[in-house]
Amino acid sequence: MAKIEKKRGSGKILGALALVFILAGLYFALIEAPPDANQGDVQRIMYIHIPSILTAYLSFFIVFVGSCLYLWKRERRDDILARSAAEVGVLFTALTIVEGSIWGKPTWGVWWTWDARLTLTAILLMIFAGYMMLRSLIEDEDRAAVSAAVVGIIGFLDIPLIHMSVYWWRTLHQPPSILRPDKAPWENVHPAMLIALAINFAAFLLLYFYLLSLRIRVGETEERVKREMLGGIA
Amino acid sequence: MAFLRHTLWLLWKDLLLERRRHESLLAMFFFGTLLLFIFQFALDVQPEKAADMAPGLLWLALVFCGTLGLMQLFQPERENHCLDALLLAPIDRAAIFLSKVLFNLMLMALLEIVVLPLFWVLFNLAAWDRLPWVFLYGLLGTVGFCVVGTLFSALTLTARGREILLPLLLLPLLIPVVLATIRGMEIILRAGDFSESLPWLHLLIGFDLIFSTAGMLVFEWVIES
Amino acid sequence: MGKWGFVFLAYGIVWLAIAGYFFCLKSRMRKAEARLAQLKSTGKIKHAS
Repeated sequence: MAKIEKKRGSGKILGALALVFILAGLYFALIEAPPDANQGDVQRIMYIHIPSILTAYLSFFIVFVGSCLYLWKRERRDDILARSAAEVGVLFTALTIVEGSIWGKPTWGVWWTWDARLTLTAILLMIFAGYMMLRSLIEDEDRAAVSAAVVGIIGFLDIPLIHMSVYWWRTLHQPPSILRPDKAPWENVHPAMLIALAINFAAFLLLYFYLLSLRIRVGETEERVKREMLGGIA
Repeated sequence: MAFLRHTLWLLWKDLLLERRRHESLLAMFFFGTLLLFIFQFALDVQPEKAADMAPGLLWLALVFCGTLGLMQLFQPERENHCLDALLLAPIDRAAIFLSKVLFNLMLMALLEIVVLPLFWVLFNLAAWDRLPWVFLYGLLGTVGFCVVGTLFSALTLTARGREILLPLLLLPLLIPVVLATIRGMEIILRAGDFSESLPWLHLLIGFDLIFSTAGMLVFEWVIES
Repeated sequence: MGKWGFVFLAYGIVWLAIAGYFFCLKSRMRKAEARLAQLKSTGKIKHAS
């Protein structure tokens, strides 16, 4: 019992810290940072878009780690780790796409374009979605966990290849006159912009780990419920 | 090596079955040809644009047919507890994987040998001397498809809604293969010069190598009972 | 929609979704804990008798 209380305690600290950074991040992103020279205030979406994208990929990496550990040691908690990271990952990936789309409308005039970054994020979402569907459609829990772990590993190995192929596809035939707004504006970077980005990045990381730890605890508790139910019958 | 022998035995078994039952190959062939016709009607492919759109359409048709083949891939094993027998035998599970990949590959290669010239004629494509290069790309792409497809076919054997789940899982992961094959073919058809397409070729070969290896390593967990 | 409108739309959706997920998780946690407590208490009664 003490171990769980300690976990809750540290979870709460993480959550509080995340909240502080989120609020600070909001302040810096919306007020302190100057508007972009070219895009104006719309560019502020970058302060949540870049952290979102990075958290989404981090999530997939954690799915990969959990999957490898599970196949190696077959401990339930690694499966719970992978499953939780996938769920939180779906959330952040979907949000990344929404942010990218909303940023695109005033910038390029359209809600969607097949540029490299949006396309890649959509593909990531599809892989996550497939992973979660696989879990829910296989009856036997252990088989589901093993199968999902394999998909997690294969998916992760594939990501660099998918990146290469999509980037080449979008750049090899693109005439150079087309604007590339997916390029980060590293040219004239005001220090306040960098600070805003850094704070929001920290905020998202903290938030991500907080949500992940929460989701893992939910998973562990549900696992214990299942075991109690089976234990009760036996 | 015993491994190679086992792989070839298993492959031979599947080929015999296929010859007796004629299930997969014929269905795939008719379906593929039908798709090419339907594309022509649906998209109204203009002769000038044919070379641009052709690789994409060809590959779409192959992917649909290939998925059909994948569905059937472990069908013989599901009947009469053959899968259990296979797993009990002292065979390296990677041999089972390799034999299934080769079987699927042979079916699809046969399909391509027939469909590609047909396709060339239907869409009035360029000089015939480019056909071998296009075929090479097709073959390498098919290898990638078969490797990842066989793995996922086995993975989803016991899943509900397998007909949707398998393509749903498979296709996003095959994007490098699809892109590399189609772009490679396009370059060959357009420029006739194969060196411009080298990056795509390398990507394709890399994909095939990485996932063949990964597939063989991972398969023994995939196919448990 | 003015430029700030897009910014607020994006930020709004993101933080609403995250808050929504957070409350969803909390609710799942409460339900699971309640179920666990219930099972444990009936289990104790069973074992006691």
